[in-house]
Order: sequence, then C-alpha cells, then structure tokens
Amino acid sequence: MKMVDVKPMNKDYQSSLISLLYQLADDDFILAYRGSEWLGLAPHIEEDVAFSSISQDTMGHAAMFYQLLSDLGEGDVDDLAHARPAKVRKNAILLEMVNGPGHYLSKPSYDWAFAVVRNYFYVQAKKVRMESLKNSSYDPLANAALKVNMELYYHLLHWKTWFVQLMQAGGEARKRMEDAIHRVWDDFAGVLSLGPLGKELATFKIIESENILKGKWKQSMKPVFDSVNLLMPEEFGTQSGDGRKGVHIKDLEDALLTLREVYQTDPAASW
Amino acid sequence: MSDVIFSNQLTEQEKYGHFLKRIEAGEKIEADDWMPDEYRFTLIKLISMHGISEIMGALPEKEWVPKAPSLKRKLGIMAKVQDEMGHGQLLLRVAEDLMKPLGKTREDIMEDLFSGRLKFHNVFHMEAPTWGDAGLIGWLVDGAAIISQTNMLNASYGPYARALKRICAEEVFHAQHGEAIIMALAEGTNEQRTMVQEAVNRWWEALLMFFGPADASTTGTSKQDITIKYRIRTKTNEELRQDFFSKYIPRVLSLGLTLPDETMHFDKEKEVWVYKQPDWNRFKEIIKNNGPKSKDRLELRKTAYIENQWVREALNMAK
Amino acid sequence: MSSEGFYQEFEVFSKRSDTAPLQYQFSLLAPNSELALIMAQENFMRREPVSDIWVVKRSDIRKMNCEEKQSLQRLDNKDYRNTKGYGYLKKKWRHYEQGMLDEKEILSWGEEKKRENG
Repeated sequence: MKMVDVKPMNKDYQSSLISLLYQLADDDFILAYRGSEWLGLAPHIEEDVAFSSISQDTMGHAAMFYQLLSDLGEGDVDDLAHARPAKVRKNAILLEMVNGPGHYLSKPSYDWAFAVVRNYFYVQAKKVRMESLKNSSYDPLANAALKVNMELYYHLLHWKTWFVQLMQAGGEARKRMEDAIHRVWDDFAGVLSLGPLGKELATFKIIESENILKGKWKQSMKPVFDSVNLLMPEEFGTQSGDGRKGVHIKDLEDALLTLREVYQTDPAASW
Repeated sequence: MSDVIFSNQLTEQEKYGHFLKRIEAGEKIEADDWMPDEYRFTLIKLISMHGISEIMGALPEKEWVPKAPSLKRKLGIMAKVQDEMGHGQLLLRVAEDLMKPLGKTREDIMEDLFSGRLKFHNVFHMEAPTWGDAGLIGWLVDGAAIISQTNMLNASYGPYARALKRICAEEVFHAQHGEAIIMALAEGTNEQRTMVQEAVNRWWEALLMFFGPADASTTGTSKQDITIKYRIRTKTNEELRQDFFSKYIPRVLSLGLTLPDETMHFDKEKEVWVYKQPDWNRFKEIIKNNGPKSKDRLELRKTAYIENQWVREALNMAK
Repeated sequence: MSSEGFYQEFEVFSKRSDTAPLQYQFSLLAPNSELALIMAQENFMRREPVSDIWVVKRSDIRKMNCEEKQSLQRLDNKDYRNTKGYGYLKKKWRHYEQGMLDEKEILSWGEEKKRENG
C-alpha cells in the first residue's frame, strides 16, 4: 500500500476533484463491462482477442481511478465498482447503453458498427482528458493520467483502423456506420461533459475547461472525418439525459444486476 | 546426408516409408511436407476439434466474466477467456493450413460446427450455473486439459507442437487462476464452501469423460491408436486419466472436499486408481450435441457469426 | 474465396527490444495488412515486451519446398572460411612474442572506443 498524502484539502477543491474521479472511473468501468459482454462474439477470432485486451486495459484504468477515490476516503474499490446504485453513478449514458438487442448469453444481436464508433469517439475524448490531466494540480491524478495515456495509443490505433475501413467500405457497412454515428452524436455531449462542477475543475486547475477539451477533440477528429467524408456536427446531444448528474437509463440498472450478481450474495466475503 | 530425395520421383509407398523414418527419427513434419492422407485427416480431425473446443469453451466461462465478484476477478477471468479464444486462434490456424490442400477454410470449420459434423469437447456441453463452476473449470477442466496437452508437446507435426507450447505456457496461468478462485471459496463462508462442493459433484462425471473411453470397445471408435502410431501423442486415454487422478485427487481432498464416488481409491498393488465408470452412452449423446447446453451454445456462436456477417462482407477483398 | 476473401493469411514477426533480431511469431487471418497489424500484438505477444512488429502477407513469401531444402546441405570442409582454419597463427605469433588478435580481442575494440569517447 502506498502512503497517501492526507493533508487537509480545500473542501470545494476536494468535492470537485472527487466528482471528476467518479466520472473517469465510472466511464471506464461501464464501457469495459460492455466490452466484456462482447467477449467471444466479435466479427472474427483474432479481433476477439485484440478487443478483450482493450477491455482489460480499460477496466484496469477504472481500478486506478477507484483507487484514487479510495485514497480520498470514498471507500473500498470493489464496493465503489459493484455496490453503488445507478443514481450515484456518474458515467455518461452513451457508455452504459447495451451493445445491441438481446443478452450476452442469448441471441446477442450486437452491433459492431456501434461498438466501433462508441469506442473510437470515447477513446479520443479520454485521450484528450488524459493529456490535460498530465498537468493536473492534483499530483496523484497527474501520475495516473500519465500511465493511462500510455495504453491509449493502441486503443486509438485499433478503433481508428476499424472506423476508417468500415466507413470506406461503402454499401451496407457505410449505412450501418452512419446510423451508429447518429446514435452516438445524440448523446455524445454527455461524454464530453465535466458535470455540474466543470467550472470549478478548471478554476482549480484540476483539468482544463470543457470547451477547451471539446475543441481539442474536434481538432483531433477533423482530419479523420475529412478522410472518410464525414461532417463534424456543430453541437452534440444529451438526448437520453445527463449521466454526470446521476441520470441513467434502464440499461445501467440491468448491467448492475449482472455485474454484482455474485458480489451481492455476500459483499463482506472474500472472493 | 547424401540421401537426396526428390519426392516427385518416388512411389507413394516409398514416400510413406520415408515419412515414417522421419517421424521415428524425431523430425518434425511441416505443413507443406508430404504426408499420408491418414496422417493429414487424423490431424485435421484432432486439431480442428481441439481448436473449436477452445472457442466453444469460452462460452461457459464467458457467462461469469461480467459477473465476477471483484475487479481483480473480473480482470483475471477476462484474461483467461481471452486466452481460450487465443488458443482457438492458434489451433484453427494449424488446422486451416492442413485443410488448405482440400480447399477448405475457417468458414468451412464454422459451417461444420453449426451442422454438427465437427464436434466439440464433452465438458463444454455442460452447465456452469454458479461462480463455483467458473473456478472449477479453471482448476480441474484446465487441469485435465494440461494433462492431455502436455502429452502432445512433442507431437511429430511441428506446427501443432509449437502451438501447444504456447498454449501450455498460458495454461499454467489458467490453472493458478482457477486455484485462486477455488481456494478463496474453500476458505470462505459455509455458502462458499457449498458452492465449490456442488461444482465438484456436478463436474465429476464430465471430468472422467474428458479423456475419452479407455478403448474402442466402450464407444465403438477411438483414434488413440492412430495418434500414438504417428507419434502425435504417447499415452493412452486411460493413462492420461490416471495421471489426472494422481495429480488432482489429493489436492481436492486436501481442501476438505469430497468426490461423488465412494468406490474411488488407489489400488496400491496394481498402482491404479479404481473408480466408477461414467455413463459412456451419455457421453456419446453429449458429443452428438445432445448435452444440457449443446444447443444453446451452438446457437450463441451461430448468432454471433451471422450478426457480424456484414463486417466480413464489407472488408472482403474479393467482392 | 480462400485466397482473396476476408480471411487472408499473414505471417507475424516481432522484435522483443530495439537491439533484438526479428523473430517469427505465428500466422493470423485478417482482411488486410492494416487490420493484421493491429491484431498481431494482442494475439501473440500479450505477455511480453515488444519493440516492433512486421506483418507479411503469406502469398508474398517465397518458401522452400522439401526438395529445395536439400540445397541447404554442405560438406564440413570449409575451415578456410572461419578462424578455425587459421588457428596455427597463435603459435606463430607467440614465436614473435606477439599476442593473437582473435575474435574476442577484435570485437572488444568497439567497446573500448566508446569508453574513451564517453
């Protein structure tokens, strides 16, 4: 166990820091969970193996962010990941959405186009955040961002390759990709949001402002969009609600029932 | 050294003799080398079944990947099931290269699986209803797999031997991953202990069946003689089963667990484990896709295959 | 379909570190080299360090067949290509009270230079 610096922190500073950490941890955790449902069901075997590594990395990042929360007195990492009810979770709604109709054990009508678009757009947003967090005023977070960032080069390369190839394939693939892109636009503002304490986060120099980060995201994506003839929308939506405020859809409730099924039979037991 | 052989000038009989001499000398046969049809077909059957069993084997454990009870367990089981897919990849590549001269590809392997022509291992037709089963699969099913796979590490077919070397190295992690889950449960609450014991009871017969019948008289066919003749493996089914008992029974008992077979004991004179035979008729039914979860798992694999058809078509260079 | 479909064969090579030689790993199926490249590491090198990866379409590789491999054999009479054929010089130089500049000695010069410069 590493020693944690527990010198008293400005109360407002601490609450905005914690609000950001919950967003980072919950985003990665739920998307890695969705990735774990894909295991064994990807378009071909080699891709299955590659995708699983990304899901593992992502859950590993979630564990690091939960640990930072734990160090700030928020509780045990496994309780943070498994026990918290939907209404206190801060992940973006886009990331909790099911992979497609059906269940991971029965008739999974999973949508690879949605997987590619959601993951690609999210990983780029995460990359922009990590780059910014490298200069965070909260050192433990800056250190974590430096580590997490290392693994994002591969995640980006992987999803970008799929994105570009399926976009350029034309025909049915192009149509499926565009449908997926529209679904993602509808809720992508929820991913780029820093939540109700976004202003404070920037003021305390924990992370740059939402607008700066959004600009950087667009700037990184623009050349790729141009290369596949895709227009960058002016604004993105939060059609399903704002996950940063604890608003969620039924998909998250269902996911929580599954992911804590064993844990909740005895949260105090050692597993 | 001076024995320069141009195989196109030899008769089939001479080629066969030369082939046997090579494997007897411990040489490795490679994909493009001449090999007798019997050898090729035996390997295709063995390795495609082995490969597809890894892919199908990911499914009973997959159920527990999203449900694993802690972050550490979620990561561990994700990595483990990923490896199963990875082993499937390695083995199917080996089988695909052997099938290439017959004009068959991975798509044919999948089609054969769906149609029932290609069988998968009996253990992967079984139910895995609790977290205890997830641990038990890692511990004992992978333990049994290690016993049978290490027996083929020196297989005369080079690509298979090389794939197995990679696989066995990872199986060591699988076994320890399984042991860790079982150990935590065995040292845990009464409910957790019950969970392991019930999993042992549920899986025992399938584990006995894992190594196949002792000889052809039990089920009508057995490939073990051919695989031994061609130096693909060295031990018989029964020898492997006995090895499994020797390695694992003492460990199962040491954790305070019991086996669902009161007759089970070690005969010191004959130096063999004496056990109650599983129902081999049931075994035949299970591998004919009439096991408890056969249809569900095939359906799941097929759904995934069909749902992603558009991806493969989009990136198909031949279109 | 088998040669030009979604499932094309790629051979994967990798380097463990910048100074390591390229090593053959295994083969995989992918629709093109870009996708082959992004699958290579996680399929074959999940648990080891990697510093570079090459993927090569199998159809671009000219392999030897069984007969051609016979051309790799040669007689063990080529000492004149190796230092082994010049071992007698050691004794000769001793006569002139000089040491033999053998492989170990000569290859050590590079290191020494570095040390002098550094």
